[in-house]
Amino acid sequence: MKISGSYTLPLPPERTYQMMQDPEVLARAIPGCEGLEKTGEGEYRMKMQMALASLSGAFEGRVRITDQTPSLSFRLVVEGAGRIGFVKGEGLLKLRAADGGTEVSYEGEAQVGGTIAAVGQRLIDGTAKMMIKKFFEKFAEAAS
Amino acid sequence: MATTMTQTETFVGKRVRRREDPRLITGTATYVEDIQMPGMHYAVIVRSPHAAARIRSIKTKQAEAAPGVVAVYTGKDTERVGPVPCGASLPGLRVPHHHVLATDRVYFVGHPVAVVVATDRYLARDAADLVEVDYDVLPAVADPEKALAKGAPAVHPEWPDNTAFTFHQEGGDVDKAFAEADLVVKQRMTSQRLIPMALETRGVVAEWRGADRQLNLYTSTQIPHLVRTLVAQMLSLEENRMRVVTPEVGGGFGSKLNVYAEEALMGFVAMKINKPVKWIESRRENFLCTIHGRGHVDYYEVAAKRDGTILGIKLKIIQDLGAYHQLLTPAIPTLSVLMMPGLYKTKNVRADIVGVFTNCMPTDAYRGAGRPEATHGIERMVDLLADELKMDPAEIRLKNFVGKDEFPYATATGLMYDSGDYAAPLKKALEIVGYQKLRQEQIEARKQGKWMGIGISTYGEICAIGPSPATPAGGWESATVKIEPSGKVTVMTGACPHGQGEETTFAQITADELGVGLDDVLVIRGDTAIVQYGIGTFGSRATAIGGTALYFALQDLKAKIKKFGAMLLESEDVTFSAGQVTCNRTGKSKSLQEIAGASYRALKLPPETEPGLLATRFWEPPNFTFPFGAHIVVSDIDGETGQIKIRRYVAVDDCGNMINPLLVDGQVHGGVAQGLGQALWEQVVYDDNGQLVTGELMDYAVPRAHMMPWIENDHTTTPSPVNPLGVKGVGEAGTIGCSPAVVNSVVDALSPLGVRHIDMPLTPEKIWKLIAGGN
Repeated sequence: MKISGSYTLPLPPERTYQMMQDPEVLARAIPGCEGLEKTGEGEYRMKMQMALASLSGAFEGRVRITDQTPSLSFRLVVEGAGRIGFVKGEGLLKLRAADGGTEVSYEGEAQVGGTIAAVGQRLIDGTAKMMIKKFFEKFAEAAS
Repeated sequence: MATTMTQTETFVGKRVRRREDPRLITGTATYVEDIQMPGMHYAVIVRSPHAAARIRSIKTKQAEAAPGVVAVYTGKDTERVGPVPCGASLPGLRVPHHHVLATDRVYFVGHPVAVVVATDRYLARDAADLVEVDYDVLPAVADPEKALAKGAPAVHPEWPDNTAFTFHQEGGDVDKAFAEADLVVKQRMTSQRLIPMALETRGVVAEWRGADRQLNLYTSTQIPHLVRTLVAQMLSLEENRMRVVTPEVGGGFGSKLNVYAEEALMGFVAMKINKPVKWIESRRENFLCTIHGRGHVDYYEVAAKRDGTILGIKLKIIQDLGAYHQLLTPAIPTLSVLMMPGLYKTKNVRADIVGVFTNCMPTDAYRGAGRPEATHGIERMVDLLADELKMDPAEIRLKNFVGKDEFPYATATGLMYDSGDYAAPLKKALEIVGYQKLRQEQIEARKQGKWMGIGISTYGEICAIGPSPATPAGGWESATVKIEPSGKVTVMTGACPHGQGEETTFAQITADELGVGLDDVLVIRGDTAIVQYGIGTFGSRATAIGGTALYFALQDLKAKIKKFGAMLLESEDVTFSAGQVTCNRTGKSKSLQEIAGASYRALKLPPETEPGLLATRFWEPPNFTFPFGAHIVVSDIDGETGQIKIRRYVAVDDCGNMINPLLVDGQVHGGVAQGLGQALWEQVVYDDNGQLVTGELMDYAVPRAHMMPWIENDHTTTPSPVNPLGVKGVGEAGTIGCSPAVVNSVVDALSPLGVRHIDMPLTPEKIWKLIAGGN
């Protein structure tokens, strides 16, 4: 499944970039996140709750941030597994100053497996879009 | 004690209602899930969420410590359990070792990795989540054509070309036929993967009686005796120490013509914990890891003369096998090859099969098993040919049918068609549907911009499977008939019918032969401790082979009854009819009840005759039987939505003599439901990573009652010479005849748009796009 889109945040690119590397901010912004713990440079262990249609469950996984070009772009790699299946995703986030804020555009690919793939396939697209939207909204909240 | 009624009323050929139905429709039948035992434990299986991965480690400590858990087993524990068996053999067949639990690698989503056993099924389910499996995920391939491409991930690393076997069969002179042809029509078509979807999922209860060294296995299967032989082998248990009981089976359709890992696994668990254990497959598991059906990509070429005479057929089948061979997986496409000429006379055929491994659940027999694919292929091709030649599809069929005076007919694929009159059901169906009038109506409808189509399918099939050389486990069937001292009759059939209604039809046959009432006959099946060895019910064989074994056992008994009657009447000149042995000279008679009593009391015995009335027969058929028929579908398509409405469904089936026409119609109805499922709605979808995305009933469109059209059933009757009952079999006919009739009608409707072929399922989206694009 391909994921792409953009969202404009009311913050300058430098600040946005900085906050996007801050585990505390991320933990507050990621929907369902129950803990984000730094395990190394650009590496985090994450616990989150996810719900998809009739399924819900805990996920545990790793988040890695690579290919960092401060204030401009970075790559996000997420891997998580739980009893309802697994999620793998990778995406490039680009930051660009726009209208006094920052336009964050993202492009990547996600793969799901296990029960969530078998049962929730038709809803994954919508759920992913909704979660991304929520993330940016909460992020904006955290920033203000 | 009720007396055994002797009577002159006969039952064969009558629409007798099923005697098994009251318990089924009142919810009082016993299925595996209904079996309870003191100390019952419950198993839940941990399955791979990945289609291909190496297992780095499995941690079971946390699960073992969970409340109620008594044991957790992984592939290491079950290494000495024998492999899940493949019964099919083909030259050069590659057979991967199929462990009951994965050892170092998983090959498809749903692959069993561990089993958690607890005192309560919910505790077992919760604990299953605590088993930690560390996977090193590998690339997977789910599409058979992609699996054949260079550089595709290898499903089994030892065979990087993903090819399990190739198979070639040829008859006549194909090259000459194609060289002499006026035209050749070609088409690629698919017969998609399907889920057999029995209402009752699989389930196993295993009980180990250590003190008796006895394993009792209750399992929902079509083949209890074969399960006993094969599972005993897997568990290194003496076969006579194992009993397989098959209670009520809530649908099989081929999916329970198998030996599954879970059957041996539950035996293993019961023997380990020394307690009964139950595993009931969830619906989601049923989607993932009960065999799937079909999975063909077919490349057809048909050579013909301008007058419509078919000269030759070439076929290349790419069969999606899945990751392993289940019991008959690689044999299924070979049945398609046997059936590829259909009802047509051509003697020149060439077929090639490539059996391909994919990271998916194995395919295997599903209602029709190989014949629906072949029939769909040839019936689509004949329509394509008719279209090319501007011939009527009925006319081209009538032109190419094997003639009714040509039987027995040797086909190009090595079969001997037993009997037939192929034009008869087609002509009857054309008449019932009012073909000429409909064609007129179609011309008018097209003028008004309406999409109306008429589709014909004339199918043949291979039934009564089969003579032993053609059936891996043996192609015979067994029956025992006991007349008890009271005169009541007990029939034990090795065929293990499971919904086909033999408790009724076998009682009809028995009642007529012995001259007793239906209620005097009890039909027992499905318990290896009670019933003599049998093969099972599949391939439309129960009545044609099991019924014939019963018929011969009844003849043996009738001879013995006559001897006892003659002794009691002190006359050699006696007749047995209507449940009475009568002296032809004096008119005196003895009833079956009196004779039965005397045979067991044994105060006096006829010369060289043993006491009692019991006969067992194992009957080996000399050939398959070949039923046939014609299905016609009239469809109307809504151009705005792409929705297909089936206005008429006419099914004229010839299955030889009918023991019970009511049950024959029921079989056709059920078969058509599954044929419509494939034609219009159902398809298994795996994504590129081997994830099953049609994993539940919200995503997999199995037909519901309200989606069914009215089916107009009729019949012609051409008895089979293969067995004395003259029966052929009808369990799969509806499915086989259905899908090409539906697709032919829809292609016919859309032919003004230049549509030549549409692959199944004919979803509204697909149809709407064709219409919208055409406009």
